Amino acid sequence: MSEGSQGAAPCARLDLNTLQSTFEGRDPFAVLERRTGQVDACVISTCQHLLAPHLAVPFALAAAGGYGRRELFPCSDVDLLLLVGSENDVRQVKEPLSEYLRVLWDSGLRISHSVRTVQECCQFNEQNIELHISLLDLRFLTGELDLFHRLQHSLTDFYAHQGKRLAVRLAEMTRQRHLKFDNTPYHLEPNIKESCGGIRDLHVIGWFSRLYPNRPEIAETLISLQEAKRFLYTLRCFLHFESARDNNLLTFELQDEAARRLATEPVSPENWMRQYFYHARQVFGSAVRPLELAEAENSPLWRQIRERRSRISTPEITISRDRILLRHPALTLSSAESVLGLFTFAGRHGVRLSWDAQRRVRSEAARIRQSFLQAPPSWRIWREFFSMPHCALALQAMQESEVLTAAIPEWEHIDSLVVRDFYHRYTVDEHTLLAIQIIDKLKGNAPSAPARFRHLAAEEEDPALLRIALLLHDIGKGTHPGDHVRGSREMANIILSRFGAPESAKAAILFLIEHHLDLSQTMSSRDLHDPATARLLSSRIGTQEDLRRLALLTYADISAVNPGAMTPWRAEQLWRAYSIGMEQLTRELASERIHEAELVGKTSLPAEVAHFLEGFPVRYLRTHTQQEIEHHFALYRRSLREGVAIDIQREPHAWLLTVIARDQPRLFASLCGALSSFGMNIVKAEAFSNASACILDQIRFTDPLHTLELNPSEVNRLEWTIACVLKQTISVEDLLKRRRPAPRPARTAQITPSARFHDEASDTATLIEFIGEDRPGLLYDLASTISAAGCNIEVVMIDTEAHKAVDVFYVTRNGGKLNREMEEQLQADLIRAAAG
Amino acid sequence: MKKIEAIIQPHKLDDVKEALKSIGVDGITITEIRGHGRQKGHKEVYRGMEYEVDLLPKIKLETVVPDARLDEIARTIVASARTGKIGDGKIFIYDVAEAIRIRNDDRGEAAL
Repeated sequence: MSEGSQGAAPCARLDLNTLQSTFEGRDPFAVLERRTGQVDACVISTCQHLLAPHLAVPFALAAAGGYGRRELFPCSDVDLLLLVGSENDVRQVKEPLSEYLRVLWDSGLRISHSVRTVQECCQFNEQNIELHISLLDLRFLTGELDLFHRLQHSLTDFYAHQGKRLAVRLAEMTRQRHLKFDNTPYHLEPNIKESCGGIRDLHVIGWFSRLYPNRPEIAETLISLQEAKRFLYTLRCFLHFESARDNNLLTFELQDEAARRLATEPVSPENWMRQYFYHARQVFGSAVRPLELAEAENSPLWRQIRERRSRISTPEITISRDRILLRHPALTLSSAESVLGLFTFAGRHGVRLSWDAQRRVRSEAARIRQSFLQAPPSWRIWREFFSMPHCALALQAMQESEVLTAAIPEWEHIDSLVVRDFYHRYTVDEHTLLAIQIIDKLKGNAPSAPARFRHLAAEEEDPALLRIALLLHDIGKGTHPGDHVRGSREMANIILSRFGAPESAKAAILFLIEHHLDLSQTMSSRDLHDPATARLLSSRIGTQEDLRRLALLTYADISAVNPGAMTPWRAEQLWRAYSIGMEQLTRELASERIHEAELVGKTSLPAEVAHFLEGFPVRYLRTHTQQEIEHHFALYRRSLREGVAIDIQREPHAWLLTVIARDQPRLFASLCGALSSFGMNIVKAEAFSNASACILDQIRFTDPLHTLELNPSEVNRLEWTIACVLKQTISVEDLLKRRRPAPRPARTAQITPSARFHDEASDTATLIEFIGEDRPGLLYDLASTISAAGCNIEVVMIDTEAHKAVDVFYVTRNGGKLNREMEEQLQADLIRAAAG
Repeated sequence: MKKIEAIIQPHKLDDVKEALKSIGVDGITITEIRGHGRQKGHKEVYRGMEYEVDLLPKIKLETVVPDARLDEIARTIVASARTGKIGDGKIFIYDVAEAIRIRNDDRGEAAL
């Protein structure tokens, strides 16, 4: 022991128990004040006894950081600054200072100290931004007051000149910290100080309010967060007392204890955590705004983007500083439909609500809830909302402004819901929104996502169904914790009825919810090499479209569990499960046929309809509703009278041609030719035949020149022409001669045509899979080539993904499969036909 | 003491775990790995796009066992992981020089 400390008893060891008694009243601010007072007394008296007598130079001792703000938590570090007059003085204070610090350590204080001159404190140091930030909260303790005032004076100048630069660096540091916590407050076991929406974010808002003194709204934000501050401060005091150290991690065990000890009335830990997330959400949302302010001022590029976006406006909504503002809030918030329109706008442009817009929407939450109940938006409006490229962002904005529970009251069951699971990192609602964000990224072709799943997402024509299924896939976790799949399905059924979803969409969404665990279970517990696994998958899933959506949903669901959940290993397994299922379903197109005897008694279909269905691929039953089947049966009866029945219907994004006729050579090719002669572009097609040689062809086509739309009479003429072609009173070749020749594939075409033949795909037919660059008339050329080779097209499934045609034909020749020689010849002919 | 390292098919993991549990082996480490032996990888064509599937998903299971139980445990893994097809995996056995339980410094088989 050195001479100076002999006999000195500057302060007794600081005891947590005494401090804890202050906490019994649950007032964290009293604890902080008392702790700060205790430490002040200890630090100052020790300094006067041990340090001051041994310093021959002028000095001032100051508190920085949380200690400077008088916000010392029970086990927080104590930041001290020893201010000296010159560089030489720094060396002189070294020895007495070390003895002083040792005594403070022995008193139980965790000291963090620095010795600096006024000049050092006011020199911008890129490597030590934390120092400049901690000096914002500087407080005089003891020593030369003049020296301290000199520093304060210089710091005022320093912040006036360097404030913006400092704000930019603070924003960067905060963003990095948020990133460490995946940019979300919804961690099942959150760090209540550092994670998003934690106490550090409250400090950040406070620092920004000092760095931007001309932006009073930042300081006002802090006032509005008083309740959140009290909650978080109480919790941190509790954690420090419970752990007897600077612990800020709210583990499941501590959540149990906190719910028991801190809640004013009995509450389950899960429900108590909802209060935590409620406050953290407020704090995080408020902290992000000054960050954006600093970033926008720093980046000219950002300013340009912001200004460009400012031009995207509607009579009700405008964008300013990359935020949505409401021109006429009363009007926008007057109906459920217009409220949803506001968020559809956010989802379309990827822009969040301004602070003011959010505040206004939140203040109207009760009325908005009523309007969603009394006059809910139509299915068309909901579908449009869920089709937006930034749907997850829009849903997050709805969540932040409390509209999500107003629009879908069942959401409340999973709002901030903690389900304790070893693998899950986030609350159920956050997991759900993250999963939708992953779909948005896949659809947006984000390079960070694996190419295979991006391609799969590109094939998905109706992402709205997928997003709705994801939104509701875990909604039963709040009410049916043991069997959430059943709970989610039941709740989704009610919600979808309220949305006014048509039966087909409802069935597709409910299917996805019911089967959302199938693929993940298959990939981990089934032998993917075993044909039985493929058969099991195909029997449970039924159609290629459902399997594709299920694969995307599973990809998003697993990826949203935690950032490391979708390992390359799992992605590979999922892809393999998808591939074997897809292969099996394609194979079954020709082999799995409907049997009348199995339908009668098992379905509500009349016997005559069951007879009509005999021999169609099973896919037909899986992809059509009973209403559609009845419509087809009515067409079939018409075809018996008239020889052929043709029906053309307008759909939202395409036209649908349905043809029922007796089978005949070149029938499918003739249909394609007739459509091509009208300038129509075929995007999807299915051609089936039943046991009585009756064909049912359904072709979806677009009308690039809007001929049918602008001239309704042309629909009738198209129907008449198709009928004539099928009755062979008009020749397709003659029709096509009158049209301009189809354009050849562009030289820059990226897709090299390929035709693969699979003999083992069916017992009776050969499968041809053609992939190539799509062009008008392609399908007619391919179908004609197959017919010209003397082959009969049994089943067809045509798909188009952007510029790529994916065509599957099941063909026979003389009632059997093609031989090797025939395949080679036809392969060459098809490639030649594709080249035009 | 011996260390058993078994590379098995992912879908066999539950069977192997159950079988090991039934003979009193609880301490195992599982890793999701990708690789190939003679089974090799292959090219997969999906809708006109080629994907190289050179590394197939497998599970690596590790456990350290007393010498006396080695044979029984290895046989149990073989029996429960076998499907009889290519790609069932392999088992490697290593000598272990020492085992130390960090908590209380137990040594040797007592630490297993």
